[in-house]
Amino acid sequence: MSQLAAFIDKKRQTKPILSMTHVVYGYPTVQESLDWMARLMKEGVDFIEVQFPFSDPVADGPSIVAACHKALEQTLDVETCLAQLGKLAKDFPESRIVLMSYLNPMYRFGLEKFAKRASEENILGLILPDLPIEQAVDYRAACEKYQIDPVWLVTPVTPKDRLAMLASQANGFLYCVARSGVTGHSVHEDKAHENNHHTTSLDNYLAEIKQHANAPIGVGFGLRERAQIEQLIGKADIAILGSALLDAYNRGGQEEGIKLINALFH
Amino acid sequence: MKSENGFYGQFGGSYIPEILYSSQQQILTAFEEAKNDPTFLAELHKQWQQFSGRPTPLTYCENLTNHFGGAQIYLKREDLNHSGAHKMNNVIGQGLLVKRMGKTRVIAETGAGQHGIATALVAARLGLECTIYMGAKDIERQYPNVFWMKQLGATVVPVTTGAQTLRDALDEALRDWSSSHEDSHYLIGTSCGCAPFPEMVAFFQSVIGDEVREQSMAQFGQFPDRLYACVGGGSNACGLFLPFLDDKDVEMVGVEAGGKGLELGEHSIRLSHNLGQPGIAQGFATMFLQDQAGQLQETHSIAAGLDYVGVSPIIAHLAETGRIKMTYAMDDEVIAACTLLLKKEGIIPALESSHALAGAFKDAPNLPKDSKIVINLSGRGDKDIFNVAKAVQDETFPQFLTDYLASYPTNHVDNKEQNA
Ligand SMILES: Cc1ncc(COP(=O)(O)O)c(C=O)c1O
Repeated sequence: MSQLAAFIDKKRQTKPILSMTHVVYGYPTVQESLDWMARLMKEGVDFIEVQFPFSDPVADGPSIVAACHKALEQTLDVETCLAQLGKLAKDFPESRIVLMSYLNPMYRFGLEKFAKRASEENILGLILPDLPIEQAVDYRAACEKYQIDPVWLVTPVTPKDRLAMLASQANGFLYCVARSGVTGHSVHEDKAHENNHHTTSLDNYLAEIKQHANAPIGVGFGLRERAQIEQLIGKADIAILGSALLDAYNRGGQEEGIKLINALFH
Repeated sequence: MKSENGFYGQFGGSYIPEILYSSQQQILTAFEEAKNDPTFLAELHKQWQQFSGRPTPLTYCENLTNHFGGAQIYLKREDLNHSGAHKMNNVIGQGLLVKRMGKTRVIAETGAGQHGIATALVAARLGLECTIYMGAKDIERQYPNVFWMKQLGATVVPVTTGAQTLRDALDEALRDWSSSHEDSHYLIGTSCGCAPFPEMVAFFQSVIGDEVREQSMAQFGQFPDRLYACVGGGSNACGLFLPFLDDKDVEMVGVEAGGKGLELGEHSIRLSHNLGQPGIAQGFATMFLQDQAGQLQETHSIAAGLDYVGVSPIIAHLAETGRIKMTYAMDDEVIAACTLLLKKEGIIPALESSHALAGAFKDAPNLPKDSKIVINLSGRGDKDIFNVAKAVQDETFPQFLTDYLASYPTNHVDNKEQNA
């Protein structure tokens, strides 16, 4: 069994839903982002999802885009980032780390090396939202070889047969995007029509996924209220908190962020 | 040019967020059907002719030919399209496809505003809602185009992230599409992006080369010996070159923007001189201008339409295999070429197209007198009036601007409130 899935199963024995909190590496500085990650792990979040910034993050909304661009005012290095995350993984053995980025920085780093080095640093999962499974033959082979889970995304508009295919390929967990659009609050939100005939409600969507997925289920995009998290209990294993946490951090630093996590999960 | 599952050699492909999968599949299917449907093709040719004024002429330039004393110089007059550039060929094609798919809204990115205007024109004509993303810096540099887009009924959204230019506008258009895919079509302006966009845009632009095949035979009894086109995203180059791909005697030269110099950030040279590196971003694999860590970099050109960090996967592939020769022209060479065409032939070229001119003018004197070259004049230069005035240091232009400003009614704030 995948280490990631095993960890989730074990934690789920005692918790109705697990937390995955997102941090942009290098925002506002490398040290501050590492401090923030350490704090989150100390506070007992189950996962941190660390985003290694890319200049053109097309799946992200304004909060995360701005943070990535701010972070890139420094020169960021993948190898350094991996080593620093490895140290965090050792210091906080109760939590786990997944790493998210876009394809190009990792393609330049070397996808095989990326899988190898991330695995060596005890990172359990990798998320590359602009790498579709069809184009990922070599990357999947590398992940298999180094025993790290590539995390695939499904969305409310993923066709049924494709959803079944992606769900069946998931090992660590399957990332279920809760709605159309990009991460966080965005000017584009009002352009999505979620409840017409193309899309099913979140409950039906998650039920459909459950039929096909052996792996645990994570849900992200647009989560910012306790009611949303409560709605997921019994239907998903992990609630992923991204832009809402970044917005809180921007308002009042670590304390405001922790306050949000406590309000949502405890 | 047919792709292998969206790939041209190592370039192209489809690297998009999962949320866009269904929309992309829909476009793939719709395009595949449309390009084989005689009714669609008939409508396309009708609109090209009746709305855009095709076919565009192939113009012999006797004065320039004598001036250089080498090759016989011909211009393919894409500047004579409605809206003044080849952009119209693509926009008409995709516009008809949008209708066919039953979508009601189009999204586009624009740098100089040429593609934005072309999109806004077609959206107005086809009754489509239209949103144009444009970098805030480009809006400042190209305000007249923004003005016309708005007058045409489009919503122009300034993009304030990153370098606030074309690359950021493209990112933001993709983000909009991720939310609005159910009723919106992303009407990309060049032969870049995820499959099938490169192939589709090249298909619609290939009318350029198809016409040159007929016109060259009719006017000088052979195919051209050499073709020249500027390469921004690569759509006008694909349009001229691809119909001649199998004619091995026809040489092809693509001209990139050398800008102010060869330092990273000063130019938009992705293919010549090994300045770009393979990368995967904005939905596709190609040669990008990027740093060691794979972060995309800023670019520069005096021609906003060539100021782009990536390039068509089709052109990248043909350059790699040696079928196309790539070169570049610097900003000052471009202004000189523009000025020469004005003086010798009475034609006002776009600064983008002036790159193709500059590239060809360097070679022309050394080519045999009986050889024929065709330069793609992708657009007209009216839009560049401010930039050219500045570049040639026209003395009276600042005075004109000052006087004009002094006489401009200043109660526009009240007008805005009334309109709101
Ligand atoms: C007149 C003109 N020529 C060329 C270009 C460059 O685009 P492409 O390389 O796709 O033809 C532009 C783009 O805006 C343009 O306006």
